[in-house]
Amino acid sequence: MAPYPGSDADYFRDKARRDLLNLLEGVRGKKNLAVSQDLAGPVGLFVKFSLLQEYGVDRVFLLENGNVDSSQRNVVFLAHAEKIRQVRAVAEQIQRLQRNGNVEHELSIFWVPRRTLVSNSILEEAGIIGDVNIAELPLYFVPLEQDVLSLELEDAFSDLYLQKDPGSIFHSAKALMDIQQRHGYFPRIIGKGDHARRLADLLLRMRKELDAEESSGLAGLSARGLLPSASTESLIIIDRQVDFGSALLTQLTYEGLIDETVGIKNNQADVDTSIVGPTAVPQAQESSKAPQQSSKQGQKRKVQLDSSDQLFSQLRDANFAIVGDILNKVARRLETDYESRHSAKSTTELREFVNKLPAYQLEHQSLRVHTNLAEEIMRTTRSDIFRKILEVQQNNAAGSDATYYHEAVEELIARDVPLKTILRLLCLESCMSGGLRPRDLESFKRQIVQAYGHQHLLTFWALEKMELLQPRSSATTMLLPTTGGAQPGSKTNYAYLRKNLRLVVEEVSEKDPSDVAYVYSGFAPLSIRLVQCVLQKPYILSLIRGGPTTTSTPIPATVSSPGWLGFEDVVKSARGATFSIVQKGDDKAIRARQTISGNNTIKTVYVFFLGGITFTEIAALRFIAAQEAPRRKIVICTTGMINGDRMMEGAIEKGSFAKFE
Amino acid sequence: LEGKPGISFELIAQAAYDEGRAHLATQLLNHEPRAGKQVPLLLEMEEDEIALDKAIESGDADLVNYVLLHLKTKLPLASFFRTINTRPVASALVETTARGQDTELLKDLFYQDDRPIDGSNVLLSEALEATELPRKTEKLQLASRLLSDSKDPTVVLQQKLLSEASQLLKIQEVLDKDLADRSEFLGLSLNDTVYRLIRSGYGKRAQKMQSEFRMPEKTFWWLRLRALVAKRDWG
Repeated sequence: MAPYPGSDADYFRDKARRDLLNLLEGVRGKKNLAVSQDLAGPVGLFVKFSLLQEYGVDRVFLLENGNVDSSQRNVVFLAHAEKIRQVRAVAEQIQRLQRNGNVEHELSIFWVPRRTLVSNSILEEAGIIGDVNIAELPLYFVPLEQDVLSLELEDAFSDLYLQKDPGSIFHSAKALMDIQQRHGYFPRIIGKGDHARRLADLLLRMRKELDAEESSGLAGLSARGLLPSASTESLIIIDRQVDFGSALLTQLTYEGLIDETVGIKNNQADVDTSIVGPTAVPQAQESSKAPQQSSKQGQKRKVQLDSSDQLFSQLRDANFAIVGDILNKVARRLETDYESRHSAKSTTELREFVNKLPAYQLEHQSLRVHTNLAEEIMRTTRSDIFRKILEVQQNNAAGSDATYYHEAVEELIARDVPLKTILRLLCLESCMSGGLRPRDLESFKRQIVQAYGHQHLLTFWALEKMELLQPRSSATTMLLPTTGGAQPGSKTNYAYLRKNLRLVVEEVSEKDPSDVAYVYSGFAPLSIRLVQCVLQKPYILSLIRGGPTTTSTPIPATVSSPGWLGFEDVVKSARGATFSIVQKGDDKAIRARQTISGNNTIKTVYVFFLGGITFTEIAALRFIAAQEAPRRKIVICTTGMINGDRMMEGAIEKGSFAKFE
Repeated sequence: LEGKPGISFELIAQAAYDEGRAHLATQLLNHEPRAGKQVPLLLEMEEDEIALDKAIESGDADLVNYVLLHLKTKLPLASFFRTINTRPVASALVETTARGQDTELLKDLFYQDDRPIDGSNVLLSEALEATELPRKTEKLQLASRLLSDSKDPTVVLQQKLLSEASQLLKIQEVLDKDLADRSEFLGLSLNDTVYRLIRSGYGKRAQKMQSEFRMPEKTFWWLRLRALVAKRDWG
């Protein structure tokens, strides 16, 4: 088997790095690198600039800036070939270099993740296809964490739901094929949602194509067909549009709130230096002038947010309400740790203390950063406006009549709260209760256009196309009825599911959570509940029946009831197709392997979120993963990270009527 | 031949086509499971619609785009539209590609498909991009004219708001001339315009705008409150 039998994260990180470096090695001598903006971040996740320098990269440019210079003879472009705009940008840059340069450039393009027919014909049209070396960089999953693989497709959400571009589904299918080729076929593919269905179909189709390739003797390489995997249990695909509602809510975990207020991109957040202090300089150089220089207002510092920071991995998935407590506890512990030096009498004890000192200092620094960050978030969450917004959201989620809160929304509009926030509230109402009353929607339209500009007529149109904000009368706002026939395209029926999947849990404790509802302080994301319907059937059943919620008692692995079994009726009320496909292989081979390996290993479950996942949902999935740890390993895969603001950004029109500067 | 995945139908079909037996070749190609190999050949054999369908089936946006690019250069526009508008994936991709590149194509497409709001939105986008005020208003008027003969309430509202937009621009131009000498108001939203008027002490004009655009009383009071606080006018 592969060198890393367990961890996909390490495997993908290594593979991506190796692939890129090999390609760079292929370009002899020093070179300049032009990277498209949406690739620069992900590339930074698996390779450092210093390493690129070792491989002869002199300077790095952003493709979108259009300022690649002629300082090096070799110029390498790194861009998405599926994005027509990027392909055109590359072609333009190349033509510009060829015109201006007094140097004869050696040009290379690495297409991510593959060379496309369209990119060929664009380069051909520009007349430069003969002058460039073209290579492919098959970059799909980028590991964000050990348990999170992301395609980091920033636009996947608007591509899928607004432009109706199936590109990211195809991309996902390819990426999942990667996993299958490593571990064998997913024995079972379970999913919910129309796009999820398409993805599953693609996976089946690609398997067939692969089989055809092999048996026709054209492939040569992989000698025999793949078998159902022995180390994976299943793949669960959730389509984002099954549950738009949860993603529209303000996330209430620590990491979620950082994402809401500051924004997290590729595991990094840009935070104002006035909040977290200047970039940590090595202790020795911290002279008197350094802090003065860099504490200027408005400067940003990149804060790394991943599990390499121990403190952060404790904090990230906790509800924000208890972050203060944790910080306090850590501060106290750190203090006693420092104090322990007084008790160190003998030289060996002292040496031990000194050895630990760097670790303490690191922790100290991280504590300072997170204390300040938490304080800053607190300032937001304590504000009058934030409370109003949260109140509207909570009431929507809990299912009370949303029209009561229209006045509050109107006030927020008049007070010039950011448009994204307002639209999130309206979309939330539309998603949760099957559209707005036409009269209300018209009045909101008028007010928003008057408050934020008439260009937002386009915004509303986009939101309607995404089926996020609609009048109640339109055909596609129909909720899935619990009785009678359903129309195609009907929406998730939150009212029914709220009751039948216990989406609202009032008594959840934030300090010591017993249910995933803690991530939204009382509301369990539907998407995660659906996953639980597959993985934690007994628990969900006990929740619904209202009996004593004995969460912690280990329940024997439910081999007998796989898929949606037992929840078919409930799941039917969520939008889109429901399916559970078994991938069979050669029976004899499976049985043979079973006798060899035995059948009691911990298997992996892949949970794939098509169209993006929120940090709260990741936190909730980790919560489940911890409960399931004795039986399963859960790996989260997604097309990218999403939150309500990013959903809105896809729709919001950026142009304005102001004069062109 | 059924049930034998090992055979490369692509090669056989190519051979059949070379022999001039196009029909047989197409039939054979139906058995080829690898879309990547199937589609270019179908195009070569001028089986355009089948090629398009197969490309869509494969889920590979690149293949679909490739076929579309090919068809667009080959077919007259009208029949090109006819080919794509029964296939939602194809028309969505054409729309995406055309946005920001080929707005004329979009307008034609929406006109032929009878999608007036889409069509007027293209014009609205163009109005936003235009640099001169007269051009902007002209585009806005075109956009609202497209919607003028419909009775659908959403369309009516859209049209009303569009004409409101050009009205607002006109007033802002006057404000710029009267009060500011430079473009200070042009392009602001209605609320921002009123806010700025109050902050600069033109309460009368602000009130006039409120009634002209039927701004809700509450909104107006909030704007006044905020503007007066910003001005530190506690009187």
